[in-house]
Amino acid sequence: MGAEGGGRRRALRMAAYAGCGVLLLAGCASMPDSGDLRGVESTPRQNAQVRVFAMPPHENARPAEIVQGFLEALTGDDPQYETARKYLTESASRRWDPDGSTTVLTDGPNAVPEPTGNREAGDEYAFTLTGSKVAVVDAQHAYTPALGDYSGTVHLTMVKKTHQWRIDALPQGVVMGKSDFQRNYMSVNKYYYASNVPTATGGRLSTVADPVYVRSKVDPVTSMVRTLLKGPTRWLAPVATSGFPQGTALRKDVTTLSPDDQNKLTVPLDQRADRVGRSQCTKMAAQLLFTLQDLTPTGVNRVELQGSGGRKLCELNEERAEIIAAHSMAKQPEYEYFIDGKHRLVRLSASGSRDPEPVLGALGETEANLRAAAVSRNEDTAAGVSADGQNLYVASMASGASLGAAVVSQGASPDDRLTTPSWDGGGNLWVADRDRKQPRLLMLRNGAGKPVEVRTPGLDGRIDAVRVAADGVRIALIVEKKGKTSLQIGRVERESGNGGQADVSVLGLRSVTPQWEKVTAMSWAGTSRLVVVGQESGGVLQMRYVQVDGSTPTGNSPASLTGVKQIAASEDERLPLVAYSEDGIVRLSAGAQWQKVVKEGTAPVYPG
Amino acid sequence: MSQDSAASQSGRPGARPGRPVGRRTGSEWGRRFVEGGLLHGGVQGSPVLRLLLRWVRRPLLPVIRLWRRNIQLRIVVTTLLMSLGVVLLLGFVVIGQVRNGLLEAKVKASQSQAVGGFTVAGQRADSAASAGGGDDNSGTGNSPVQNVSGWMSDLVESLSSGGQGAFDVVTLGTTAVDNDNRGLGPRASGGVDPSQSVPAALRKRVESGTGVSQSYTRIVYTDSRSPQPALIIGKQVNDPNGDPYQLYYLFPLTQEEKSLSLVRTTLATAGLFVVVLLGAIAWLVVRQVVAPVRMAAGIAERLSAGRLQERMKVTGEDDIARLGEAFNKMAQNLQLKIQQLEELSRMQRRFVSDVSHELRTPLTTVRMAADVIHEARVDFDPVTARSAELLADQLDRFESLLADLLEISRFDAGAAALEAEPIDLRDVVRRVVSGAEPLAERKGTRIRVVGDQQPVVAEADARRVERVLRNLVVNAVEHGEGEDVVVKLAAAGGAVAVAVRDYGVGLKPGEATRVFSRFWRADPARARTTGGTGLGLSIALEDARLHGGWLQAWGEPGGGSQFRLTLPRTADEPLRGAPIPLEPKDSRRNRGLNDAGGSRGAAEKAATVPAAPSYDKVPAPRDPIGPRTAAVTPTADPTALPGNGARVVSRPGGGEQRRDEGTQGPAESGDRPGERDQGEAFRGR
Repeated sequence: MGAEGGGRRRALRMAAYAGCGVLLLAGCASMPDSGDLRGVESTPRQNAQVRVFAMPPHENARPAEIVQGFLEALTGDDPQYETARKYLTESASRRWDPDGSTTVLTDGPNAVPEPTGNREAGDEYAFTLTGSKVAVVDAQHAYTPALGDYSGTVHLTMVKKTHQWRIDALPQGVVMGKSDFQRNYMSVNKYYYASNVPTATGGRLSTVADPVYVRSKVDPVTSMVRTLLKGPTRWLAPVATSGFPQGTALRKDVTTLSPDDQNKLTVPLDQRADRVGRSQCTKMAAQLLFTLQDLTPTGVNRVELQGSGGRKLCELNEERAEIIAAHSMAKQPEYEYFIDGKHRLVRLSASGSRDPEPVLGALGETEANLRAAAVSRNEDTAAGVSADGQNLYVASMASGASLGAAVVSQGASPDDRLTTPSWDGGGNLWVADRDRKQPRLLMLRNGAGKPVEVRTPGLDGRIDAVRVAADGVRIALIVEKKGKTSLQIGRVERESGNGGQADVSVLGLRSVTPQWEKVTAMSWAGTSRLVVVGQESGGVLQMRYVQVDGSTPTGNSPASLTGVKQIAASEDERLPLVAYSEDGIVRLSAGAQWQKVVKEGTAPVYPG
Repeated sequence: MSQDSAASQSGRPGARPGRPVGRRTGSEWGRRFVEGGLLHGGVQGSPVLRLLLRWVRRPLLPVIRLWRRNIQLRIVVTTLLMSLGVVLLLGFVVIGQVRNGLLEAKVKASQSQAVGGFTVAGQRADSAASAGGGDDNSGTGNSPVQNVSGWMSDLVESLSSGGQGAFDVVTLGTTAVDNDNRGLGPRASGGVDPSQSVPAALRKRVESGTGVSQSYTRIVYTDSRSPQPALIIGKQVNDPNGDPYQLYYLFPLTQEEKSLSLVRTTLATAGLFVVVLLGAIAWLVVRQVVAPVRMAAGIAERLSAGRLQERMKVTGEDDIARLGEAFNKMAQNLQLKIQQLEELSRMQRRFVSDVSHELRTPLTTVRMAADVIHEARVDFDPVTARSAELLADQLDRFESLLADLLEISRFDAGAAALEAEPIDLRDVVRRVVSGAEPLAERKGTRIRVVGDQQPVVAEADARRVERVLRNLVVNAVEHGEGEDVVVKLAAAGGAVAVAVRDYGVGLKPGEATRVFSRFWRADPARARTTGGTGLGLSIALEDARLHGGWLQAWGEPGGGSQFRLTLPRTADEPLRGAPIPLEPKDSRRNRGLNDAGGSRGAAEKAATVPAAPSYDKVPAPRDPIGPRTAAVTPTADPTALPGNGARVVSRPGGGEQRRDEGTQGPAESGDRPGERDQGEAFRGR
């Protein structure tokens, strides 16, 4: 009896085990449909970039091969163009300075044999490199759009010793096609501090972006640091100052710099930097940090500066750098603004998509009857242009504030009167009067008082639109001349004039869209980037990003939009584009399509 | 059965013969090597080798023993090995199938992708050529398309942009000497190192322009990524200038490798589980079968050890249970039969003992009466007087017969007790010889004692030893036919021995085993009037056995006989050998006489059957036939009980010859008892 009972119990236990096993197996046999939460670590995307492997010259290569191989080697990744130098004679190699300039051609250099007198001798040969220029990158790595034909002569000779063809004369610098240029170089902003600009809010310095092109595969970190130390590029130099003492360089023994696994970069400087004070050192470190922030995939979020003896000068992290200088927007704009169907200024929450509401103050009233407006960067004051373009009102965006005409235009027609105003980071208001008889660029200090006429010595044509960058030293203008409009960038220089009254002028104007025939709208869309609406010669209306130096930034241009008349972008690149088109006010968020916000509305603006 | 003829139980019945033979074999081998010159200096090498072998084998021995003895272990290990083999085979087949399947799918997809890419490259070249030709803004007629370098970089970029991570594109310039494109360097997307990733054979083949070719390769990256296996498909295509270049698509097989490794690990894990589980299952199953078998074996062992009441535990009704029931039934029957037999035997012994006892009382009376009659015989007429004498004689005989019977029955009943104390056998021998002197004189026999210079001391019961020796000496004198009787004493090792040699009629073949039988007589025709009771040697054998010693006989027809008593020097010590050879060195055979003709061999054999096995061994070293035969000889188990019937096993072919050869053996060794003893000692193991 007892044995029987034990057997039954054992059978029961076995059944229980089997049941557990079956449950366990059933759990393993299907995909989970619930579970605990876990973070996903993003892996850096592999760069699928094409790499050209430069080859040394073949034995007994013919002259054409030598020239082609040399041009090919220029597009390679050798830090000092070692392979390319193998195509040169020793003396030519000594004379040749590849870092002097980079000439970018539309389609790459074209080698054409040149009839030389004594080809019969058989020990000389010449090729002409031809092509149409797109741009030139100078020794300061500054990009300048260029037009015209390129021509350079490459002279080959038969080296007596080896009986091989080699190049013995060639133009200085490097020449390559546009696609190779885009593959091998990248645009990086180096940051300096705006000089002669009243400090921005909270006593912070205002940074100015100075875009340069460096070779992306040849230790960009080190070359960026060296470029930064050399100071701002020629164009920007009058209005930008560097925190680094003049002539500071990397310590002699430093060959390459790279951030450690904590993303901290240690920069050893030479003796010129030994005497800097703490605050200046922090400024220097902030410059480095801003410059290198987006350079490597992981970024640099700490910078340590060392003196010539290896002594630590200072260390700075990202958070503290933001306190020192207003690098990006001081604060993210809270609203986007536009003029609604009742010609008043309304605002729309930048993040959400709630219904627009009129701003407080006079400009939000229906009586304002505006056609354009600008909101100061701290979003407490706004300027509006009346529907006929005749009056510019500045009003506080507080309830009860009243209108006051600050500027009056004498233009004949509404199109010849005031443009959309623009606020700089210092709170000054800029506006252009399109009066054909007396076109002028005006600045209202702190948005009030008597407008100051800004001198524009290099201006050729009438200003059609004006946008000031947040740093207050760069200004984007649409200049109309003989029916053609172009986008020009100038720098704002302030000189203390007589009687303490500052003398403001816009200098160094240069076109960033030389190929374009017509530019209808533009807006700053980043520290050194603009979004431009216009058309190339023979092209259709399009919207595109343009660097302030005239180059085309990598990345996609915004999705096309038909009938776009006005556009607004924030210098914070994460915020959506807002445009006024045939469909009213539309918005483009990152990674999405254009979406309609309201039907009735014009002149969308972000603060600025 | 042998208990009659055998002197006594030898030490260990199961002892091994192999060791001495083996050793001899070894030395034989060594000698052969040296003689044959096969291995000069191998004398040193071979022992080292042997040592090494032994050293290796030693720790394995328990394992080997376990393997031999444990059927469960054997089955489980076999199952494990076989299932491992099956799992491995299965794994290889499955992995091969999966690999082929994965690869096939990948190759198909890759080929269509690559071919599409080649088409695109050709189209782009054509369109670029036509565009360049039409819009000749360079102003030179020589080169229709301006910049192949940039064009090709763009091509590679656009081709590779479609397959981020799925494939990489590589172009190689032609190496043809007469081509202007020789200056064109390789281009690669995705960080591929083109020179190391494109196999030279494929390159050559593609360059020969034989269409699309594919191969397998290992992608080497210029950055820190580790190399990966890949499928590479290449074709020679023309650039806008019509110059050929090579375009390769590289498809990394990373995903396939991952899938394969997943399958592999899965299979390995599953296989491990299967093997372990199969092993466990086999263990369980075999245990179910083996456990009862083991129990049966244990019970059988106990039964054979005499514990007849042991039974198997039977549960259930399966085959094992049937086995157990049958086993138990068998055991019960055996027990019953053995009990019956024991009972019978006990009754018989009791009966003999009782009869002997019961006969003594009337015998005493008869004796007294006979004595009276015998005393008064002078007064009788001659016939009556003769009868009275006969009566007295036969009464003497009857009395001694009765006494012997009582003694035997005491042995049979196990009532005999040994009162051992150290004695000098020489004293015993002297007493016996002097006691037998009158008889010897009557027979004209001289009794010589040999080997009594040294004391021969052993722990023994003096009375019993004396009885044994007296019996032997008297027998020898009686059957000695007037020839000398030699009593030989010797002590060596842990044993002492006394051999009594006569030169009388000897023993016929087979008689040596039978002399110890009860009531056996050499010549049945001889009247029972002469001689003893016929129990003397039986009693002597029992006495020797009581001491733990041997009593053995040797004889040859016409050559006399020798009886040897071997006793351990200390009681309770097992005997390993005797200091005196059983066959005397002056035997006819040893002397080389051959009077028995053709039958001699057989006679010899039979006669020497109970003899000490000593000479089986001794001749071995001189055996020209070699150790192999010697190794076979143990068919006549040298360790068998002396007098055991098992000895009378015909030897293999060489046996007889060897016996002839071995004649000197005992003779020689007889001179040196120590060595002889050693020989015996070997046997004893």
